[in-house]
Amino acid sequence: MSAVPQSQSQSSHGPTQFQTQSQAGPVRVPSDRWRLQVVHRSEFRYGGPVRSSYNEARMTPENSSRQTTLRSRVEIEPTATVHAYRDYWGSTVTAFDTHGPHTELIVKATSVVEAGPEPHQPDPLGWAELAAPDVLDRFGEMLRPTPLTAMDEPVVQALREVVGDAGPREAGHLVCRYVYEHIEYLTGSTNVKTNAMQAWTSGKGVCQDISHVSVGLLRALGLPARYVSGYLHPKPQAPIGTSVTGESHAWVEWWDGGWSGYDPTNSAEVGPRHVTLARGRDYSDVPPLKGIFSGPKSEGATVSVEVTRLA
Amino acid sequence: MLSRIAESLFWIGRYVERADDTARILDVHTQRLVEDPWIDEQRACANLLALMGAPCPPEEADTEKVLATLAFERSSPSSITGALSAARENARGAREVLSAEIWESLNVTHNALPQQRTMARRYGPHSLFRFVRERSAMVFGLADATMSRDEGWLFLILGRSLERVDMTARMLSTRVLAGDAAPSWTLVLRSTGAYEPYLRTYRGAVNSSRAAEFLLLDRLFPRSVFASLEQAEGCLAELERANVREGHRIGVAGEAHRIVGRARTMLEFMQTDEILAKLPTRLDELQRTCSLASEAVTNRFFTEQAPQIWVPEGVG
Amino acid sequence: MADLFDGYPLGQQWDEMFSAPGQPRPPYTGLFSSLQPMSGEELAARADVLSQTYRDAGVTFAHAGEEQPFPLDIVPRVIGHEEWAVIERGVAQRVRALEAFLADVYGAGQVFSDRVVPRSVVTTSAHFHRAAHGLVPPNGVRVHVSGIDLVRDEAGDFRVLEDNLRSPSGVSYVITNRAAMSQVLPELFGDHRVQPVADYPSKLLAALKASAPSGVGDPTVVLLTPGVYNSAYFEHALLARQMGVELVEGRDLVCSGGQVSMRTTDGQQRVDVIYRRIDDEFLDPVHFRSDSVIGCAGVLNAARAGRVTIANAVGNGVADDKLLYTWVPDLIRYYLAEEPVLANADTYRIDDPDTVEWVLSSLDQLVLKPVDGSGGKGIVIGPRADERTLAELAVKVRAAPRDWIAQKPIGLSTSPTLINGRIAPRHVDLRPFAVNDGNDVWVLPGGLTRVALPEGELVVNSSQGGGSKDTWVITPPRPSVEPVPEHDVTRIEFTTADLPAEPPAQDPGPPNDNAVAQSQQQQQGRAIVATLAPSTQPGNASGGQSRDFGPGRTTPC
Repeated sequence: MSAVPQSQSQSSHGPTQFQTQSQAGPVRVPSDRWRLQVVHRSEFRYGGPVRSSYNEARMTPENSSRQTTLRSRVEIEPTATVHAYRDYWGSTVTAFDTHGPHTELIVKATSVVEAGPEPHQPDPLGWAELAAPDVLDRFGEMLRPTPLTAMDEPVVQALREVVGDAGPREAGHLVCRYVYEHIEYLTGSTNVKTNAMQAWTSGKGVCQDISHVSVGLLRALGLPARYVSGYLHPKPQAPIGTSVTGESHAWVEWWDGGWSGYDPTNSAEVGPRHVTLARGRDYSDVPPLKGIFSGPKSEGATVSVEVTRLA
Repeated sequence: MLSRIAESLFWIGRYVERADDTARILDVHTQRLVEDPWIDEQRACANLLALMGAPCPPEEADTEKVLATLAFERSSPSSITGALSAARENARGAREVLSAEIWESLNVTHNALPQQRTMARRYGPHSLFRFVRERSAMVFGLADATMSRDEGWLFLILGRSLERVDMTARMLSTRVLAGDAAPSWTLVLRSTGAYEPYLRTYRGAVNSSRAAEFLLLDRLFPRSVFASLEQAEGCLAELERANVREGHRIGVAGEAHRIVGRARTMLEFMQTDEILAKLPTRLDELQRTCSLASEAVTNRFFTEQAPQIWVPEGVG
Repeated sequence: MADLFDGYPLGQQWDEMFSAPGQPRPPYTGLFSSLQPMSGEELAARADVLSQTYRDAGVTFAHAGEEQPFPLDIVPRVIGHEEWAVIERGVAQRVRALEAFLADVYGAGQVFSDRVVPRSVVTTSAHFHRAAHGLVPPNGVRVHVSGIDLVRDEAGDFRVLEDNLRSPSGVSYVITNRAAMSQVLPELFGDHRVQPVADYPSKLLAALKASAPSGVGDPTVVLLTPGVYNSAYFEHALLARQMGVELVEGRDLVCSGGQVSMRTTDGQQRVDVIYRRIDDEFLDPVHFRSDSVIGCAGVLNAARAGRVTIANAVGNGVADDKLLYTWVPDLIRYYLAEEPVLANADTYRIDDPDTVEWVLSSLDQLVLKPVDGSGGKGIVIGPRADERTLAELAVKVRAAPRDWIAQKPIGLSTSPTLINGRIAPRHVDLRPFAVNDGNDVWVLPGGLTRVALPEGELVVNSSQGGGSKDTWVITPPRPSVEPVPEHDVTRIEFTTADLPAEPPAQDPGPPNDNAVAQSQQQQQGRAIVATLAPSTQPGNASGGQSRDFGPGRTTPC
């Protein structure tokens, strides 16, 4: 297996137990921050031997004021040469290609991060300031509708009535609440190509759809908005050291003088349970793993995310 | 040189030689049908088709079918038209390496085929076969006169030599395996252009074991199997010398070289009687030698083509 | 007789050759005096030879799916050296400014923070490839080859019509036009000192090698072509041949572990620089169209890792966008702190309501160009268009004003062109080619002059049935002290004094049977110098003795 050279490795044995490697007793973090380990495993199976594939993984968490990435590595089977770089949106990309016949491709990203709540935001701007030309110029890409996020005018109109004359920050929260109440979380109801209007019309979706709809509506109101991909530890009261099945997750951020995040799927603030991977205009800018291969059809992919609270 | 171009030249050599030899075989065959009053046309045609690797049920075999399958079928590289089309396609991509004259020659030949076919229908196929023989000679003649003796030329001649081994073996088989429906040795010698050389060498009536020996083993006649194997071997030796890679151990000869060398050695050192006693087996072996050597050449020099059809994949 | 230029009409537009009837401009005086005495038929006859030369050489291009000989007009276009100096400076300046712009746009984006160009112009461009962000070429050059299209306005000044920074084509015709003309009209070249164009391939090769990843001793350069069926294949093959580099297709390349190699009979050979004549969209199925079969998967990331150079760089299209064109003069001032040497055509962005209304009310006086069109498609020339076209155009412009720019029509200059045996004025433009090697922007002297062959036609693009002219840049007169020419050891020269007095005859071979029979028959009454020796004496070939001398030849040569 080959890996992006990062700090020392740590193995995890079995799904429920895990070994600490620290020497000096249990780790201590501030009470509103969690230290989390995430193991994200993607596996492709092919109908026969595949000769070549070229891929890019966006599975390396970021460093920011809210989150510190202590360790992160990406392991690939079969062996591949990797090249890491930062893309246009600031995501850390691990690019790799495999040659030589293989019938499956396994990408495993293991990260340890410390995450906390959003830092305190400055006072929000008003609508007039948000409509200033230099703001529109600076955030153009985050204001423009995309095929995955565009929302129809009647929906936006209905939303405007709900928002009334609330200011931008309050409006942001209202939008997320509005979407949370309108779309029922239901796995399997949509697929990766579903767009925002389709999800809205059916009233069902997963975090990707709920986030797309929220981003679409925020933009329609005039708030620059971003789609955020990451991980979520599902249990608010999680015992330390126990691994649970987590998930790849998505939420949103909007700009009202500073970037604020919110999780419209769970109608919750972004906090220590959220690990941020990447940001973009929509899902297509930040897919965890994408690439091309030559050979017989893929027989499917399995994805598993395992999250462990270390502190 | 680029593998793709080398492979094109190799196959141009094979295809043009194939068209040439097929035209010769068919010429003799159709002539025979005219000359021999006792011939069983169906059996002769069925035998011929089988020997050329395109068998068909005896009831359906007739000259029309033979010509359709081996002369006019555009999509099959075993037919004259198919082979010349394929040669031209390969030449198109290798135009920068082939001289303009060779490209033009192949292009003109290919473009003239429909008209030749019409004429063949009206006046009989002999003129078509002569046209193909002459054009093939022109292509190789131009190669001889205008190509530098570099890798490209070596691959071209290698392809031609290997194909010649295969086709001469097939021509011999038309006599050996067809029993009483077989063409005479004279006709077989004629079909390889060996009749007059044979006569000058042996000064006398055509004797079956001498004819077979001539076609298999004669050192001086260029279309003999032995001479073709030797030429192929020479090309391979030259190619290997030019392509000595780092860490390539001396003595570990290329697979293709080994296969061809072995066939040539067998012919060189085995007693003629031994060879002739098991002629059908030997001929079959020779055809296989050609295929195996061709495959080995492909593996050694024309590393696999890049996959060009990509399937996007993505996952969450 | 000698009526070639009689009745040559001069209108409002600037004529390249004449300032007044019968009065050629200074660069053309030589040409005028050479051509003037000729008749139309004479010139037409030369033109036929020219055309035949092209046909024989197989120079063609694909027009409407067919291969046709390239139409070269026999009357060259001449540019004086002072005028050329301006063009050279202006083109080089423009390329330098656009290089800086591209580095900025795919890097820090200072031009946006300083509010010189709105960010949206770039971020909404179809050619802005975010995958190329952060990719820094080894020597900083992104525009290795460019074609800056120029036209001359009514006042005789050159203006930039369009920048082409991706895969400008046509330089092969510059080279072949010159070769054909010098074959057919050698005497004209003798009278003028025309700057040569033949060193373009060596300049290009040097620039490509200079752009290789650092630490590579002798870089391997390849030319990546879409293949034989591409309309510009002729140019790809010519350039590869004259540069001495391998002409490859996508399937000859493989990218593994960030390194690009080509498949040869000797195994995989590393490639350092790829001069690619394939659009960005088809170059790398990993980042762009995954259905592309002509590209090389992984090449962009290999370039990002610094293991290979892609020339021209990916993403250049954002700088030759028709909308961005309107800002280029500002970019020259911003990056170079210079005033533009060559002005743009007067162009207006349709990005505010006042401009929209003004444009819509004057559609019949303006030229409307779609921002995303190329090859001259979609251009509407207001003064020429009919009611219906203008009405349809108005609808499109109102619906998406950002997709169009409006230009005041320029009366393109005209150049004397041979049409049906007579000389008549036809509109021309000029595409000079520039090569950037990282230190210097070298501009090919002359470039491709394109002629709109139908009378009055303004769209000159070759894909729409135009023709071309050989373009001459006259060298400045030599300084009065002529430097002694160096003794060139590579030239081998002989004089007539070196010729042998009596060169040996060719071997005639053994006499044939006819000759013997004839001599036997004629033994009695004829005094024939009969010899059966293999060679005859020089100077004596009487009698039917030897076969090798052709009829009528009395002296061996």
